[in-house]
Amino acid sequence: MSSKTGNPKLRSAAWRISLWATLAFAFGTMLVFVFLQWFVENDIKRRSDAWLSGEVEVLGNVAERTPKNRLYGRVVGEVAELAAREVPNKLPSESDTNDSVFFLQKGGDDSLQLWVGAGSGEDTLRAILTKRMLPDQPTDVRVKGFAVPFRVACIRIDDGSQIYLGLSERDELRVLNSLRIRFLLLWLLIVFFGFAIVFSTTKRMLSHVRKITEAASRIGHSDLNTRVPTTQRNDEVAQLGLTLNRMLDRIENSMHQLHTITDSLAHDLRSPLTAIRGKLEMSLSATSHGDQAEPIVSAIEELDRLTEFLNQSLDVAESKADALRLARTQIDLDELIRVMIDLYEPSMAEKGLQIRFQSTSSATIEADAALIHRMVANLFDNELKHLPAACTVTIRLKTEDETILLIFEDNGPGFSSDVLPHLFERRVKGRESNGHGLGLGFIDAVARAHDGTVTAANRETGGARITVTLPLVSRENIGLPIAVHAAH
Amino acid sequence: MRLLLVEDELDIQGFLKHSLAEAGYQVEAAADGKTAERLAIGGAFDILIVDLGLPDQDGITLILRLRELGVRAPVLILSARRSVDDRVRGLEQGGDDYLTKPFAMAELLARLRNLLKRKNPSGNEATRVRVLDLELDLLRREASRSGQLLQLTPQEFVLLEYFCRNAGRVVTRSMILDQVWGMRIHPDTNVVDVHIYRLRGKVDSNGQQPLIKTLRGVGYVLKDR
Repeated sequence: MSSKTGNPKLRSAAWRISLWATLAFAFGTMLVFVFLQWFVENDIKRRSDAWLSGEVEVLGNVAERTPKNRLYGRVVGEVAELAAREVPNKLPSESDTNDSVFFLQKGGDDSLQLWVGAGSGEDTLRAILTKRMLPDQPTDVRVKGFAVPFRVACIRIDDGSQIYLGLSERDELRVLNSLRIRFLLLWLLIVFFGFAIVFSTTKRMLSHVRKITEAASRIGHSDLNTRVPTTQRNDEVAQLGLTLNRMLDRIENSMHQLHTITDSLAHDLRSPLTAIRGKLEMSLSATSHGDQAEPIVSAIEELDRLTEFLNQSLDVAESKADALRLARTQIDLDELIRVMIDLYEPSMAEKGLQIRFQSTSSATIEADAALIHRMVANLFDNELKHLPAACTVTIRLKTEDETILLIFEDNGPGFSSDVLPHLFERRVKGRESNGHGLGLGFIDAVARAHDGTVTAANRETGGARITVTLPLVSRENIGLPIAVHAAH
Repeated sequence: MRLLLVEDELDIQGFLKHSLAEAGYQVEAAADGKTAERLAIGGAFDILIVDLGLPDQDGITLILRLRELGVRAPVLILSARRSVDDRVRGLEQGGDDYLTKPFAMAELLARLRNLLKRKNPSGNEATRVRVLDLELDLLRREASRSGQLLQLTPQEFVLLEYFCRNAGRVVTRSMILDQVWGMRIHPDTNVVDVHIYRLRGKVDSNGQQPLIKTLRGVGYVLKDR
């Protein structure tokens, strides 16, 4: 029905609920993973720092005790190599050279005394010199030529030199990275499954609600016999269905009451009217003198007017309660207006009124033929009664989206300002009108009963405009039979 | 023509009996379903008028029961109800007719005639209709009076044709609207009268004997003698 753009699936509640639930779920699991990652990272760092501190102490001891002779470099280098093999989180390196651990001894004059590791060690020394380092406190050091920083621990030995042990964070980062990727994949998987489960569950639940809505909207003005579907489960949705059905029971009951009342009212008034009319006709045929016939004739005419008033006011009353009973058939409004113009044109011409009709194509509505005929006749009668001579009535038929607009415009005096706000109320009529004041109220009633509207206004250029909108039958449905009741 | 009238309101029964007898029907009346059933089986009626609101049973139930018992005569249903029952629509499609109260006697008589005509179709439809010196050629859609061709619009021709087919009988405004324009409306303006006035201007022109007569409060009649 709605012509608003947008995928209806994206506007459904199931979609929104699962989206929000997934967002909350994703956020929660993300928090858990971030915490886990942080915890593992800290643990790894703590372990490698402990290892560094321990090893640098061992190396310091060895360096202190080893005499500073030719073998010093080899002994300390050997110990450093051994230590490097016990590196925590060690992964097989791509190259044979040991680039994950370095050992560096710096003299008191900031000269490089001993270097074990990849490269010359000059860059490392320069990087270390720019950094203030505290003993027993491993720090990150970035070395030129290495993408990954080193974790470096230092110790001062008695001869005034300092020993540095550096451990590349490469392996540690690799472990953490692989952990991060695993966490991310796991997180995506969990979120996806969570979304799928929430979406399918809410969708299944809401499909019951949708079925109820569809059934409820099918239960139109006149069709109150059907009920919305209910499920065996005793959940909220089932409760909704049951409540709706109980409500429908009550509505149907009061509708039935209203019909009974209007029917019996109609019956109780029509029976005596029939008897009176019949007797009047009998006495009319018995009298042949004009002067005697005159009061009988006017009595019959009054009686017919009273009957029409009774019919219309009951229709208006029922439609106010959305209880007007319709026998729908397909009517082409374009054709109907042409026939009506044919009927009304002589009377209009007699009064010096002109009719113009603008319409582009046929306009099929599904409506109660008798009511629509009377409604359109009312619109014509309204113009015929209220317009002064030499005016023009312009009737336009326009289709807009899924509705048809029937517009009656004239260039007469328009509605007077005191009547305009109350046009569709009962018993409102102009001073010179001899009708019973139901005309526009009846038009409104019929339009409402067919899910349409009526608006009345004065045109800026002078004159009145009455616009009736009615839902159009979609093209593919034209010609399809609907409970056909052949008109005469 | 034997007619059975089933109507419980004695006032209505009274004037209907009188008017129907005047129109040439042999009327028997019943005020409830039981009596109606007895009479319908006993006497061979050509047509029935049945009111829907009977004291002992629903009018439709009575009609269906009579159909079961083999009564084949067409039925004119009278109803004072507002809504037209689906079962009434069913009967309507089965060849019976339906009239809402209150009604004009002329309309009741016209509907009875239609029902009887439907039951005994009178052979070939004539292509020419003649009423006094008025002649209609239904194929060429031309009308002439005393040999003089009348200049009629298509709508005026249909209206005159309806008058000619009912020559000598009263037709009401409602009947004209229903049969000529195909709608059951009751305008409180003089739309039909203006059409008749125009038609009369063409048919009864320059001092000829007026054929279309107004019966105030009742309707119109095309004189056939």
